[in-house]
Amino acid sequence: MKKGQIDFQFFITVMALLALGLIMVFSSSSESARHIFGNAYYFINRQLLWAVISVVAMMALSKFDYHRFGKLSFPILLISGFLLVLVLVVGEEINGGKRWINLGFSTFQPSEAAKISIILFFSYSLSKNPNILKTFWTGLLPYLAVLGIFSGFLMLEPHFSGTVVILGIGVVILFVGGAKILHLAMLGVPAVVGGWILIFTSEYRMKRITAFLDPFKDKLGDGWQIIQSLYAIGSGGIFGLGLGRSRQKFLYIPEPHNDFIFSILCEELGFIGALVTILLFAALIWRGIRIAMNAPDTFGSLLAVGITTLIAVEVIINIAVVTSSMPVTGMPLPFFSYGGTALFAIMCCMGIMLNISRQSVQK
Amino acid sequence: MSESKTRMQIKKRMYFVLFCCTLLFAALIIKTGYLQIVKGDELQKQAIEQQTRDRIINSKRGTIFDCNEKPLAVSASVETVTASPAEIKANSENISPETLANGLAEILALDYNALYEKLTKNTSYEIIKRKIEKDEADRVRNYIHENKVKGIRLDADTKRFYPYGSLASHVIGFTGLDNQGLEGIEMVFDKYLKGSPGRIVSAKNAAGTDMPFKYEKLVDPQDGLNVVLTIDENIQRFAEKHLETALIENKLLKGAACIVLNPETGEILAMTTKPDYDLNNPFYIQDEQIRLAIEQLMPEEREKKREEELRKMWRNKAVVDSYEPGSTFKIFTSAMALEEKVVSLNDRFFCGGSKRVGNYNIRCWKAGGHGSQTFLEGVQNSCNPVFIEVGARVGTERFRHYFEGLGFTQKSGIELPGEAMGIFHSPNYFNEVELATCSFGQSFQITPLQMIAGVGAIANEGKLMWPHLVKQLTDSDGNVVKEYESQFVRQVISKETSQQLCSILETVVSKGTGSGAYIKGFRIAGKTGTSEKIPRGNGKYIASFVGFAPADDPQVVCLVIMDEPSAGLYYGGQIATPVVRNIMDDVLNYLGIEPAYTPEEKETLESAVPNVVGKSISESKTILAGSNLKYRIEGAGNTVISQMPKAGIKVNQQSTITLYTEENKTVTMTIVPNVLQKSVVDASNAVSKADLNIKIVGAGSAPSNGGIISYRQEPAAGESVEVGTVVTVEFRRVEAGE
Ligand SMILES: [Zn+2]
Repeated sequence: MKKGQIDFQFFITVMALLALGLIMVFSSSSESARHIFGNAYYFINRQLLWAVISVVAMMALSKFDYHRFGKLSFPILLISGFLLVLVLVVGEEINGGKRWINLGFSTFQPSEAAKISIILFFSYSLSKNPNILKTFWTGLLPYLAVLGIFSGFLMLEPHFSGTVVILGIGVVILFVGGAKILHLAMLGVPAVVGGWILIFTSEYRMKRITAFLDPFKDKLGDGWQIIQSLYAIGSGGIFGLGLGRSRQKFLYIPEPHNDFIFSILCEELGFIGALVTILLFAALIWRGIRIAMNAPDTFGSLLAVGITTLIAVEVIINIAVVTSSMPVTGMPLPFFSYGGTALFAIMCCMGIMLNISRQSVQK
Repeated sequence: MSESKTRMQIKKRMYFVLFCCTLLFAALIIKTGYLQIVKGDELQKQAIEQQTRDRIINSKRGTIFDCNEKPLAVSASVETVTASPAEIKANSENISPETLANGLAEILALDYNALYEKLTKNTSYEIIKRKIEKDEADRVRNYIHENKVKGIRLDADTKRFYPYGSLASHVIGFTGLDNQGLEGIEMVFDKYLKGSPGRIVSAKNAAGTDMPFKYEKLVDPQDGLNVVLTIDENIQRFAEKHLETALIENKLLKGAACIVLNPETGEILAMTTKPDYDLNNPFYIQDEQIRLAIEQLMPEEREKKREEELRKMWRNKAVVDSYEPGSTFKIFTSAMALEEKVVSLNDRFFCGGSKRVGNYNIRCWKAGGHGSQTFLEGVQNSCNPVFIEVGARVGTERFRHYFEGLGFTQKSGIELPGEAMGIFHSPNYFNEVELATCSFGQSFQITPLQMIAGVGAIANEGKLMWPHLVKQLTDSDGNVVKEYESQFVRQVISKETSQQLCSILETVVSKGTGSGAYIKGFRIAGKTGTSEKIPRGNGKYIASFVGFAPADDPQVVCLVIMDEPSAGLYYGGQIATPVVRNIMDDVLNYLGIEPAYTPEEKETLESAVPNVVGKSISESKTILAGSNLKYRIEGAGNTVISQMPKAGIKVNQQSTITLYTEENKTVTMTIVPNVLQKSVVDASNAVSKADLNIKIVGAGSAPSNGGIISYRQEPAAGESVEVGTVVTVEFRRVEAGE
């Protein structure tokens, strides 16, 4: 392994997002923490602990040659596939979905592992067989099958947003990895039809669509969350109400430190804060693609693209949801939303990114 | 594919991915910016609405007092039920909005569906029911307590209460749901009466508890000012009592109006329109027939008709409706002519029953005419040809000058809504014929208020005063905040003309068509009026009388207007004069104005019966003789044991007092004869024949007795009363006479 410098700009961006994320978790969670646990620091203490562990993990992985994941990628895929089945059996049901496995000290979403395993497996396997995607039946289809199986398990939980992310990452890696445009375009037809069926066969998803189209129709019911989010964002104006001064976090937005944390950020820090945050993510993605381009080999490139896509898809979906640009689906905002294992997983990915950047070949 | 070619393709495709991401990020930035910058204010407003609890503290509305500080309109404490739907939602585990709506709908007698909708709105403040009384409020309080309800509150509120019900309803007016003045003084003085409401704005979270940081603003309510009227509740009551009686007796189809004015200050002491309405229930139509008629209408017409009838009921005729004044206006024609010195009292005129003006033949109200008469007699007779002649002497230009000077072409500016202005000929169309009709009060319209203000000027040495209803504004501690001084508008005629006119008008009552208004000792002056409503020939009249007293120093002016009498008589001299007489009698006595009797009046003066109980017969005889009273002795004793009428009762002089001289002597009873529709002489004879004493009231007491018939008696015919009892008999003029 070539020893070089990590991409320092990428690293700084990650640390900035992490810091801002922690501040927002504290600011947004203190009121509900006080309300539920009688301790304003309940959530931030846990998140801080996980942040420390995650940074350590990131630093460690930045020194761990990513090529060594290559051979492990298939076993990891199998294990995460197993975990997806396991969660259906032993998972804790929260809000009508079996998405969590209780590890005792924390809870953990197998979908997080599934996302990473897909990235690892796809990038490694495609780099080993550079021309495999030229054919459909023996090339593209097996990958699609893996995606299909994983998506199927996720939909059984059900975990709609997880499914979207897995499909997104998979398709992007396959695209970048050389899949024929025609093949991918042909996939569009069953994807649209399938999505349509999924939406219309579920009353729960249907409601979310109608609430998206006209949230004010059922203000206190299905539209409540999104309206409260819009109130928060709108209240921020250009300069915001000031850090810690959100009013919407006072039980109007349910779990303000989770999926709707960006709304609170908008309310407290205004459009300026929102712009800075979105630009930080944009910088991260730009640096991520740069790392991918300068990666020493195809495996590194595809791996970096996969991880970058993961972040991009999650950020885009999350912000689109809270700004009412798409129907509500439970999507956390990377680095920001409360959740130790999710943060840990993201930071591990960042560690891998740093390692790839360390080995970059500058022309 | 070669390795480098593959890398190239990967790179290209990565650029494409980057491009897509950039596009999507840009879209998100635009969307966020749109929400925060473009829609920011609107969303923030809605957010604050749900985040804050804004409670109004109603200010106490000022009281409306009469001139003696008697409260005519007061605000009583009641409560208003309000809801905070957000809190109800937050508390829905404890009690569901459905259960709550059910419970409250039952207690407050509200519609469940409407209530449920309010309780589940996405707002922080909804009014559930306004102005409930204490017992209802207590039931709500109990319900809240028992069911651990959150988000339902009882706010202090006030409700207008009118202690005298319908008294002066058209002047006082009433308030609406938000305590805003809707009619009358309540409306015109709303800005002073209402004060300014206070409010508490406090922050709250979705669970309804307060936010941790201070976010509370308190604005104290400012109580409204009190309005002190010039109206005197007693005088108002007298006016209403007699007008109400007249309304019923004369079957007035279009109602009646009355104003009592202090001519020296322009203060209105009483103003009433009949029929009236209950201020405590102003939206209830008093007339049962109208109410039933509305019930029978189609639903869509019902509301419209109801509103129309309510507006009619609330209409203050004295101010809002103009009318053709008819002969009462002759006061002003006389004033003009005397002021212009174009006529003197002894100028001779001839009335042949009509007078030719231009191409028209204008008739006198008296068929056959009044013959030869002086100007003074012409006024007493209310003869139209005399006034046509007098008006012609004044001329169109001077006539218009005085007409404007008397304020008939302008609103008086009284503190009431909807004052009318009257209608008069435009200068280009005011010629010989118009002048002739105007001279006796026809072909134009003025309001009753303009009329009484004009008569006030005549009675007040020619000085026109601003007629007004409000004396002062006071604060809650009773300090005077603003004083409404009497305002002198202009000198209309000279003091001399005014005095001359007062004596002329006094003779109208003592000798002329106004004799029904005669009160011994009070020197009433006035003028009758009767105008046939347009289109003429339908037998619809307005009868009126305007009078003031005492003629030598007028203190009170009283105008009565009776719209469409339908019980037979319709001349002002027949039906309007007794009303003014009765009002004046009460008012002058109430004001403590000393009667001043003429030598003629002294002869027939009433005197109070002296006490002779316990005295010897001879002593009693002397005492009674001193009071010009006769006596009759019952029994054979020497000492008077009881007397009838009792001491202190006022009887006509020469009445007979029955003296009982024996213990346990049964009192002699007699039957009251029917003395209605009789002349003064016949009535007096019938009463004394029954061993009763008569008290003559109204036109019967006036020096001129022609055409005077009794129309009321007390006690009624057929009643069995003690011998010597006083029978009060009221007379009025039935002889036709404008
Ligand atoms: Zn005549």
